[in-house]
Amino acid sequence: MRAVQQVIDGLAAGSIYGALALALVLAHRATGVVNFAQGQMAVVSTFFAWSLVQAGLGVIPAVAVTVAASLLFGATVERVAMRRFERESPMIAIVATVGLLLLLNGLSSLIWGYELKAFPPTFSSATLRAGGAVVSITALGTFLVLVAAVLVLYALMMRTRLGLALRAVADNPDSSALSGLPVGHLLMVGWGLAAGLGAIAGCLVAPKLYLDPNMLAGVLVYALAAAVLGGFDSPLGAVVAAWIIGVSENLAATYIDFIGNDLRISVPLLLTVLVLLLRPQGLFGRREVVRV
Amino acid sequence: MRGHRRWFSGAALAVGIIVLAVFPLNSTSYTNYQVALVATYAVAILGLNLVSGYAGQISLGQSAFFGLGAYCGAIATVRAGWPLPASFLLACALPAAVGLLVAIPAVRLRGHGLAIFTLALPLIGVALAKRYADLTGGSEGLGARITHAPAWTGLDTDQWTYYVVLAIAGVLFLLARNMVAGRLGRALSTIRENEVVAVSMGISPHRYKALAFALAAAFGGAAGWLYVYTIGFVSPVEMELLLSINLLAMMIVGGMGSVLGSLLGGVLYVYIPVLAGTVDPVRTTLLYGAILLLVLFFAPGGIARTIRRLRDRPRDWLAGRRRGSGPPPSGVATADTDAVAAAIQRR
Repeated sequence: MRAVQQVIDGLAAGSIYGALALALVLAHRATGVVNFAQGQMAVVSTFFAWSLVQAGLGVIPAVAVTVAASLLFGATVERVAMRRFERESPMIAIVATVGLLLLLNGLSSLIWGYELKAFPPTFSSATLRAGGAVVSITALGTFLVLVAAVLVLYALMMRTRLGLALRAVADNPDSSALSGLPVGHLLMVGWGLAAGLGAIAGCLVAPKLYLDPNMLAGVLVYALAAAVLGGFDSPLGAVVAAWIIGVSENLAATYIDFIGNDLRISVPLLLTVLVLLLRPQGLFGRREVVRV
Repeated sequence: MRGHRRWFSGAALAVGIIVLAVFPLNSTSYTNYQVALVATYAVAILGLNLVSGYAGQISLGQSAFFGLGAYCGAIATVRAGWPLPASFLLACALPAAVGLLVAIPAVRLRGHGLAIFTLALPLIGVALAKRYADLTGGSEGLGARITHAPAWTGLDTDQWTYYVVLAIAGVLFLLARNMVAGRLGRALSTIRENEVVAVSMGISPHRYKALAFALAAAFGGAAGWLYVYTIGFVSPVEMELLLSINLLAMMIVGGMGSVLGSLLGGVLYVYIPVLAGTVDPVRTTLLYGAILLLVLFFAPGGIARTIRRLRDRPRDWLAGRRRGSGPPPSGVATADTDAVAAAIQRR
């Protein structure tokens, strides 16, 4: 029974990693950049939601407004800070996002300070009992939000003209431009969507972790591992990988004495490296063919 | 022209050495320790530059090797009673061995995979340092006052520390300069620009990248030892990911693929917090990030390349002619060659 509980807790944790991993994959698909600042952008969004709640808004409306604002925020960041580096070497682009991470971290400390802030829970704190296992409504809600996000994204990408255009730009920006697509705007849309998802992830995890400028640093590591494990261009892969990571991390921390609670962060990373060595394109990724 | 420049560089170097030698005798002990720290972090950034700047492999793990070297220095001297030179060798050798072990899988990963993998090292390092508290002192850290000025020198401890740290750092810089100016540097640059070309010239990318990783780890470990020698203390904070990120940022600001840039990176790493108002960590992070982005926007080669450009083309610059019209300085990637190499990789 203990193992079942660990699996359930793992899926709940994995859902948080998955939401941020999905954001990473979206930004990467749009512009080919691994955004190390994704977590920090989500923290800024979450602080924004907290301020709205402080101003008297209900939690759900505050989160909705925040997600909308984050769409604009992500699009602005792409246009102002990242556009310049997208055609450069991947390393410069990664370093630019690291600069963004530091900048946003400093800014949010400056605006909102270092004290831990309690974020009101989005879902009720009740629990459900099924068999011997306990499932909190929060965990279930997080899980369902992630599934809903995947379904909405899938519909957006595969069933709308906007999705078609986004996929075209991700596949080949030059040809898309020649076909008359507004490439620049579509890149901004990609980053906006990513920031919106990040905001959801931040607001879901904030009640559990308390709000501070470094809140998502640990989650980002798991999300990056999930995105890499899933193949970085596959949204579904990222989510599945996030669940695998959440579950394996929980099981390893419980049943492998050497791992324990303090070294659990090594589990997803070792898992990722192992998979990458055997399958460099990730679990769901497309194989990159190198032609000379 | 060339001989003239060499004469000028030699004279500048001689003046620099004399200034650095006289400096600690007239300055406060606080300043002496600060300059020693500049040299310490410059060595760590120099190591990072070998693997990231020259070999083009992004590494977010340098703080793990820095911390490992620091713990080697502290534990070997305080707990095991080793002499200082032996602890220094250990602080270079053990990180190098770990770096080599890490490199074996790491060189087979590309781009994101490698960044994630190196990202793991500080996290695991901090967890291990906290777990084995009887050895490392855990979260409280381990005090290691291992620096004593010998009586015959008549120097104060801060002055002695200054000379020892600067001498070791100087030797390490000379070593790195000679390595990157020779076969190793050319091989790494070729791999960074285009692996296919490197393979066709008989350069094994895996072997050279692994070598770069091991060297970077050894320099990181040496820097960690210098840190303990200067500060007399080590804790898991010295391993944290934020240090890796800041070192990477300052390497880029100073100048990627440049020995001089590593030195500038060390100066900036130590003096930006001073500039930010000593102890306010908020503004320090903000400034690191802002300066990194500004440099990426306006001087992508870092400060070192800007300096070199000003030195090489003073008249062009004064006349306001288009910069970058001449041939690019050797050993420094231009945006165009990077783009071509990236395009070849992608196709």
